[in-house]
This record gives sequence, C-alpha cells and structure tokens, in this order.
Amino acid sequence: MDLQNQQRVKDAAEKYDPADIVVVLGSSDAEGAEIYAETVCNGDPTYAGPLAGVPLGLAVYDIFDQEIRDLADPEEWENQISMMEMVLDPEALAAAVKGIREQFSKYAL
Amino acid sequence: MSKLAGKKLILLGERDGVPAPAMEACFKNSGAEVIFSVTECFV
Repeated sequence: MDLQNQQRVKDAAEKYDPADIVVVLGSSDAEGAEIYAETVCNGDPTYAGPLAGVPLGLAVYDIFDQEIRDLADPEEWENQISMMEMVLDPEALAAAVKGIREQFSKYAL
Repeated sequence: MSKLAGKKLILLGERDGVPAPAMEACFKNSGAEVIFSVTECFV
C-alpha cells in the first residue's frame, strides 16, 4: 500500500475509535487484497511504511464479501459495481480478505 | 438500522478493481461516515 495512504489509515485509527472503523477494499486480485488487508490488520508486511510493526487490528472486508454487499445500496451496486463483479473473481477476493480478517482483525461488523 | 450506522469507513479502491467513488456511492445512505477514500493505481 502507498506509504502516504498507510499514514492516512494510521492517523484515522488514532483519531477515531478503531472499533468503529471498517475498511473496505476494492482490489483487483486476491494477492493484492491480502497484502492490503494484512497491512491494516497486522502491519505492513513489507516493513516499508508507517504501518510496519503496527497491528491496528481493524475490521477489513472486500467489497464482494456477502456481509458488506448486503449493506450496499442495490441500485448503486447495479450501476457502479456489477460490471466489475463480472470481470473480477469476487469469491476469491472475499475469501482472501476473510482469511486475513479471521487471523488478525480485533474487530468486526 | 444498518449495521454500518455510526461506523467510520475507510475505502481503499483500485483503478483496475473497484474504484473508491463506486464504493462510496453504495454506502452513502448506510449511516456510516467515509473518513478516508482513495483509489490506488499500479502502473
């Protein structure tokens, strides 16, 4: 994850109650989604950015996770996301992020 | 009430995946507040 964005996530977790924060990912591949999820849960796995060694434990979901999808506006979903849903591999993305969440998240929805 | 009511959302989109503004549109009536939203691109 971009180093500036890591800092923004870190700042947000300090400003707000981490238990109230939900991170939603729109990654294009499962491997990238895992790295993003791990970064906001367990710290930057590449040890390059501000979140290196900082296990925030935030609740993290892929946009295609059924739990998050159920909370989205159905009309907007159809307009904005359904096209990408056909192109990407939604099950693999949701499963990848779920695996990291179950391992490292301290919070959930 | 939505499970997202009162939550603070961080939306990390990707240009070749789902961009952040698309996700933002889906949650604008959820009762959650978007505190950080960005679309990364890997080129």
